Formats: sequence, C-alpha cells, structure tokens
Amino acid sequence: MFKKSNFIERSLTGALSFIKGSIFAEGYASRIGFLQSLDPRIKAATFLLFLLQILFTKNILVLLYLYALCLMLAQVSRIDLLFFLKRTWVFIPLFSLFIAIPALFSIFTPGDPLVSFSLIGHKLTITHQGLSGAELFVTRVITSVSFVVLLSITTKHFELLKVLRIFKIPQVFVMTLGMCYRYIYLFAEIIEDTYLAIKSRVGTLVHYKRGQHLVAWNIAYLWHRSYQLNEEVYKAMLSRGYAGEPAVLTDFRFKPKDLVWFIFAAIMFTAMRKYG
Amino acid sequence: MDDIIFELKDVNFSYLGKYPALWDINITIKRGEKISVIGANGSGKSTLLHMLDGLIFPDKGIIRAFGKELREGDLNDAGFSRNFRKSVGLVFQNPDIQLFCPTVREDIIFGPLQLGASKIEIEKCLEELTAMLGITDLLDRSPHQLSIGERRKVAIATTLIIGPDVLLLDEPTAGLDPLTTRHIIDLLNLASSSGKTIITSTHDLHIVEEISDTVYVFGSDKKIAAFGSSSEILKDERLLMEHNLVHIHAHRHKDIVHVHPHQHTDHH
Repeated sequence: MFKKSNFIERSLTGALSFIKGSIFAEGYASRIGFLQSLDPRIKAATFLLFLLQILFTKNILVLLYLYALCLMLAQVSRIDLLFFLKRTWVFIPLFSLFIAIPALFSIFTPGDPLVSFSLIGHKLTITHQGLSGAELFVTRVITSVSFVVLLSITTKHFELLKVLRIFKIPQVFVMTLGMCYRYIYLFAEIIEDTYLAIKSRVGTLVHYKRGQHLVAWNIAYLWHRSYQLNEEVYKAMLSRGYAGEPAVLTDFRFKPKDLVWFIFAAIMFTAMRKYG
Repeated sequence: MDDIIFELKDVNFSYLGKYPALWDINITIKRGEKISVIGANGSGKSTLLHMLDGLIFPDKGIIRAFGKELREGDLNDAGFSRNFRKSVGLVFQNPDIQLFCPTVREDIIFGPLQLGASKIEIEKCLEELTAMLGITDLLDRSPHQLSIGERRKVAIATTLIIGPDVLLLDEPTAGLDPLTTRHIIDLLNLASSSGKTIITSTHDLHIVEEISDTVYVFGSDKKIAAFGSSSEILKDERLLMEHNLVHIHAHRHKDIVHVHPHQHTDHH
C-alpha cells in the first residue's frame, strides 16, 4: 500500500491535505479587508442577491460585469488573485465536460451551423446557438462559483453557520452542520494517525491487495468510532441541559458601512433586473 | 438528611446488559465533600460519574439525588431536568467529546443558553471565567486548534459556567503537564472552598490528597474495594498495588540498582 507513488497512499494524503487546507484554513477570513469587515448577515444576503441575478439573467455582459465585480471584491478583500482563480476555475472542466461541451453540438442545440467536422466517421456540427449557450453556461457557473467561494473564504465558518439561521434554516440542522465540520477534522486526524501507525509497523513494502484490506478495515473502524462518538457527544450535550432544540446567541453588530454596502447591492440588483 | 446529595444503594449496571461496569455499589455523598474515585482502567469510575450525572441509570438498585430517587423518566420532565442539570456538572474524560461547537465561545456558553440564562448574565460569567482560567484569547478559535491542556481547561469552563453545586470530573489531569495540572488542582480547591461538592475520578495519586477528603478504590471486579480518608488509603501500599495503582520502580544510585514500589504521589 505504501510504495512510492502508490494510488491509495496518494489519494489518502491528498484528500486529507485538501480537507485541512480548504475547509479549515481561515487565513483569508481573519485578514483585514473589505468583505471581512462586513456584517456576515449583510454579506450573505447581498451575495444571495448577486447569485439570484446570475441565475435569472440571460445577458452575458451582465454576467461578465458581475464576475468583474467579484474579482474586484476579492482584490479589496486582500485575497491572492492567483489562489482565487485556481480555487474557482477548478470546477469548470467538470461542468464543461458533461454539460457545456455537448451543448455546443447540433445534436443537443439545433441552430445555424458554425463549424462542421468528422469524428470517427460521424459528422459533428457546432452551432451558433450552441456556442452562445455554452458561453453563457460557463460564465454563469464561474461567476456563481466565484461568489460562493469568495463568501466562504472571507467569512469565518462559525459566522457562516450563524448566518444560515437568518435564512430560517432550522437550528438543529445548523448545529449538525457545525458538528460535522468540527468532527471531520478529528476524523482526518484519526485517519492520519492510523496511517502513520500502520506505516511504522509494516514499512513500505506491502502488496496492494493487503493494502486494500488495511484500508477497508480502517473504514470499518472509523465507522464504529463515529458511532461511538455520536453517543458520547449526545451525552455531553444532555449533561449541559440540551433538551432537543438548541439555543444560540447571535452577537452580530450592524454598522453604517453594512447599510451602505446593502443599498449599493440592492440598487445594482434592481438595475440589472430592469435593464439586464 | 438534607446534606446528602447522592445516595447509591446496591447499584448494578452493565453495558448492553452483558458487560458489567458497576457491581453492588453503595455510596453516600454529602454536600461540600471532596471525593476521589481511583482504580485501574475499566474499573467503572467513568460509569459511576455518568450515573451521578443522570446519563445512565442502574439496572438494579437505587440512586437518590438531592433526596429524590433518580429515574430516567424524571429527566424527561423539563423542570426537573433543568434544575438537575443546573445543579450537577460533568467534565468528560475526553475533551473532544465535550467540545462539539465550532468555537470555544459557543462551547462555553452552550450550557447556560440551554438552561435559559440571560444574555447579560452569560456574557458576565463568560468574561469572569475565561479571565480566571486564562483562556480569553482562545474564545474565537475552534477547539480543534487547541492543545490538549487548553482543550481540558475549556472543557472545565463549559461546566463551571453553569455554576453547578456538584462538580464531577473524569480524569481532569490525564496527560497534562505539571503546571496545567497545578492550575486545575487550584481551581478545584477554589470551587471546593466556595462550598461545591467535588467528585473526581483519577489515576494521578499525587493529586488525590489535595483534591479529596474521602477516597473510593474501585477494583477490577467493578466493586468498591475500599474507602476511607485520603491519607489512610494512600498509605495502604498493598491495597494500591493490588489495584494497579502503584508499580515496582527500579532506578540506579551510582552502581547499585534500587527497587521499590512507586506511587506517583509526587512529581519527580
């Protein structure tokens, strides 16, 4: 399992490092920047307006304008643009492969032919309508993904969870989400430690089949451990007075700056709805 | 009679109905007492604390809390449950279990919020308590970012903020460095001097005399093997050896290897 460049080892360490790096890194959320200084409730509400606009509009110029606004917001919030672009464009090939590329062709989007060519004996035609549809789709995806990523990296995760409450998500779901977040890290650590413990005992030369057995056994162990933890955490909650519906304290503070930003976003939303 | 907080009579408990964890337990605990429960791993110490906290209930025998028999159904009653949870607080052995909220602040205020304390009251207690424990800087951090010592202090804070009359602590000093252990002992003594009842399960014999007047020794047969004053129990080397609480320690004085029973009653 642990030979150099082994698939399982690479997947395991890669997944763990991705989880820790992307979910738990709060470096950007702690920086002093424009979006970080806004009340998270206002920030989330205005981003929701932008997302709705992205969803409704069929005008690529409006989408490009919103994308430019998003990049500008990232810039004034002291986000490294290269990091931000990498983080957002990573989703594009996935969507393009399954949706945007097929939509280019006349089979899925009939219309005026733009280019025709043969592939393995089949004649394929890209249409004008297909191309503009695919462009619109990719721009819509990248713009909405960018706004969501920007919101998540400029807001501390616990503030995001609290914000969910203003969108009337039941507290029990919000709390469950918070716990998932909390315990994913614990489990990532358990996986890492288990992996190191195995490696220290078996060395590096293990047949891949044996490696698969070890991984399967670890998945079973982790499942059992999570079940145990579930019971224990519930007891810890009961012990501190939990009686079915958790109570929370919201301590956000609304500032004049938040009002200015909200008015700006609302005007933009209205204008784009009217003229876009 | 009013002074009796807990009374356990012939209590038996087993997990899944087949793994005994407590056997024929008889204990009476009075208000303001400082009690330690010591014993080897798996002797039932944690189970006892969970039972005193109303999280599990006897298969056989009776447990009385504050003069009333404690049954599972009673804790379904909102009023009774709220009063009981306000009066009894448990610090779990594993802080990762106790710290389930996204931030330290939310974890600490979880208890009083559930128990209906007002926002002003909670904020005042939070400020005082975190200053006393020296954890104010940790409030906006996630529990997973803390060291084990910090996590344990936060776990204690989550219980102390409720202001319980009875404080149950499950191995509060396990795995801690000497200075953090010292802080926790001081904290327990402070709580005790303010009239709280302190019941601690521990392996650390060196803290037992300081944090308890009475010691219960649990055996591997899940029964109480002995109880008495802390000085009496700690002097009884045979009893401690029999229950895996001391070990033979060999060390060298110049060229002579010196062997003796070792109790861990002092740091060295």
